[in-house]
Amino acid sequence: VTRAGWALLVVLASCGSHRAPRPAGSDAPLMISVEQQSAWVRNFNPLLPPGRARWPSRDGVYEPLLIYNPMAAGGGAWTPWLATGYDWSSDLRTLRFHLRSGVKWSDGQPFTSDDVVTTFEILHRYPALDIAHVWGFIASVTAPDPLTVELAFSRVYVPGLDDVAHQPIVPRHIWAHVPDPMTFANPDPVGTGPFTEVRVFRAQVFELGRNPYYWQPGRPKVAALRMSAYPSNDQANLALVIGDVDWAGNFVPAVDRTFVDRDRAHHVSWSPLVGNMVFLYANTARPPFDDVRVRKALSMAIDRSRIVEVAMYGMTRPADATGLTDAYAGWRDAAAGRADWMMHDPAAAGRLLAAAGFPRGDDGVRRDAAGNALDYDIEVVSGWSDWVRAAQLIARDLSAIGVRAHLRVYEFSAWMSRLQEGTFALSVGYSLDGPTPYRFYRWTMSSQTVRPLGQTSAGNWHRFADPEADRLLAAFERSAAPADQHAIAIDLERRFAAVAPAIPLFANPLWGEFSSEHFTGFPDAAHPFARLSPHIEPDALLVLTAVEPVVPGAGAPATAAVMR
Amino acid sequence: MTRTLVSRLGFYALAAWVSITLNFIVPRLMPGDPATIMAGRLSGQASPEAIAALRAQFGATDRSLVGQYVDYLGDLAHGDLGLSISEYPARVSDVIAGGLTWTLALGGVAVITSFVLGTALGALAAWRRAGWLDAVLPPVLALSGAFPYFWLAMLALYIFGFTLGWAPLRHAYCDHLAPSWSFGFILDAIEHAVLPVVTIVAATLGGWLLGMRNTMIGVLGTEQIKLARAKGLPAGRVLWAYAARNAILPNLAGFGMALGFVLGGSLLTEIVFSYPGTGYLLIQAVRNQDYPLMQGLFLTLTLAVLAANFAVDLLTLWLDPRTRRHG
Repeated sequence: VTRAGWALLVVLASCGSHRAPRPAGSDAPLMISVEQQSAWVRNFNPLLPPGRARWPSRDGVYEPLLIYNPMAAGGGAWTPWLATGYDWSSDLRTLRFHLRSGVKWSDGQPFTSDDVVTTFEILHRYPALDIAHVWGFIASVTAPDPLTVELAFSRVYVPGLDDVAHQPIVPRHIWAHVPDPMTFANPDPVGTGPFTEVRVFRAQVFELGRNPYYWQPGRPKVAALRMSAYPSNDQANLALVIGDVDWAGNFVPAVDRTFVDRDRAHHVSWSPLVGNMVFLYANTARPPFDDVRVRKALSMAIDRSRIVEVAMYGMTRPADATGLTDAYAGWRDAAAGRADWMMHDPAAAGRLLAAAGFPRGDDGVRRDAAGNALDYDIEVVSGWSDWVRAAQLIARDLSAIGVRAHLRVYEFSAWMSRLQEGTFALSVGYSLDGPTPYRFYRWTMSSQTVRPLGQTSAGNWHRFADPEADRLLAAFERSAAPADQHAIAIDLERRFAAVAPAIPLFANPLWGEFSSEHFTGFPDAAHPFARLSPHIEPDALLVLTAVEPVVPGAGAPATAAVMR
Repeated sequence: MTRTLVSRLGFYALAAWVSITLNFIVPRLMPGDPATIMAGRLSGQASPEAIAALRAQFGATDRSLVGQYVDYLGDLAHGDLGLSISEYPARVSDVIAGGLTWTLALGGVAVITSFVLGTALGALAAWRRAGWLDAVLPPVLALSGAFPYFWLAMLALYIFGFTLGWAPLRHAYCDHLAPSWSFGFILDAIEHAVLPVVTIVAATLGGWLLGMRNTMIGVLGTEQIKLARAKGLPAGRVLWAYAARNAILPNLAGFGMALGFVLGGSLLTEIVFSYPGTGYLLIQAVRNQDYPLMQGLFLTLTLAVLAANFAVDLLTLWLDPRTRRHG
């Protein structure tokens, strides 16, 4: 009775079609799903920590000086953006940016070096906005002329370029008069980016129109971006599947069947292995994980190909011994990646544990000299189903070599605080990355990133320090020549493979989907000019300026892979 | 009568103070802090120095709990709920206000519909015991109420929204319309509310119906109903003015609670139908340890529950003469 009743009610209520017609023509907005919210709050302040201001404030409304693109030919390169280039002084104490001429803010005012100086001065005054803590290594920022910015470094620190170059730049003529940039919601942004005009802003939808003064001639080709509020993945995926979203970076379950097969001519899913690395972190501040043999034995017990197949539906592949994902393809040394401890070999793992002083007891469980059984929880985030499945398989693999392991799920914030405070024994976790492998290895092996147990640590949750890695990282900080950087990176990779600070499992695919029915020019496997996921900053700018509307009747234009 | 009212008011003032205090204590018992969680979500981009500065900015102080409590009460007295952390730097009152209208409209309509319909059907079912209404409705509604709501709503969305295309898939109104009091917009908003309201009613109707039916059966067996019938009063008058008026009291108390909880948002409904209400805000607040937002939401919720209960108290005083103490 009730079912029929509803059906009747629904029929009565729905007089028209509910697939609201898409606005057509050259003025049509590109529909994007990035942030998941039930209602939008108007905030376009690009200086706040990522996630506070609406996407794409940091990389669409505002822009950085340079963009590091790991997909660039040759395995990653800096793309000139608001700056046309940079150079280091010979003593590496001064970094000079050469700004692009003719760039205008969206209110028509010229963009100059004063804007860059003001931006960094704001960061200096408000340490909570200086997310990367650039004032930890720069001493002053000056503008010798309107198109040159000079940063004096307080110490030699070449990787500081990454933080400085990616900082969104705000206009001096507005931000110099903002009383408190920390609590400024910037409702009507003035930026240099391709999309700056807020055409619509409502709780469930907002639209950004193009910047009338954008510096790239003829771009952006898309008239506007429209962001609809979807509270969760399910709602966003539904909209993607039926064509209400053109571009997304969501995990879509069984993406080929649910999304691609629905419209093979237009629907594309491209998820290269350039997300972060997924690790089994063993807390090296606690025995027995301070023993490299134990960490290697755990690694050898794990059947990664099975995890990839079962937990990740074959969407990725087992990691190698460098721990690096394909985002560092240009840096990775194949020889360094081959190591015994990354091979699935339970027998060898057992021998290694026995040699380390952990013989099997009568019940098959290994014990230390004091007779304590090796018995641990593997901690994962509840609801992260791929990790939960992976942890289940790992628990079984470890039990097979006599290490008792149990899956234990935590809510994200609890899982994160346990990692940060080092209260875990074994935990599945992700890597912390940057443009070059420097940051990755700093967060996995540097003594500078180790905090005592119980103290909150932003990274190096497994609390591993290695003097040789410290030396290599220090050398990297003092090398500006790409050839030197590559040579040191390979040494770091070898060191990682030798000391096994953490146990790499697999690289996370960076999920990306688009539909070419209304817009083309997205990166894909055939045109990998940038990462597809809109979640990745600042790469989104590369895509936003490349995408163009499909002109009705003009036939399908070829996907344009534009590199500047 | 006045004394009854004054003592009730005193009780509500005490309850309000207790809930305001709990509201202060409970979020502070959670492990972790908002700045660390934000840093965790930023995947290593945030430096320890920035996290420390953020923590200070988000109001982590070394001030004693008592001091913080005094500040909290002071701000509250000025109606200042502070700045949200997950939507920093938006004011908590603005963040909540954005969704409140939709939550009130959707939840209010759904709860009132369900209560009125369920109570009336329950009264009728008891009146004609073992009639077709009594035979069919209780088991069917008990069944639909026993389905997990999330699953029921997803199924409805899949069938009527996705497969048949009869109902909108999301939101409170079409994206291309601007909210206004025009006929077209109101019609559009109603269309968007139908499926969410129907699913809530389907899930909750059984409770009201069974409660009313069971109390009615008890009331119908009392002497005063026999007397009313013996006096030859019309059946309708006996049913509604004599039996239902007495039997509705327990349901009414439940209605007060349900009405108060409307403000908390129909969490699952809002998630399934992407409805821009306050329900999802609570999850967001908890996930990000957004204390100010959590406190603001709990405060609105508790005050609404208290206000609704007070209203129901007044209604009960009017409906049930026994509750009016004279003196």
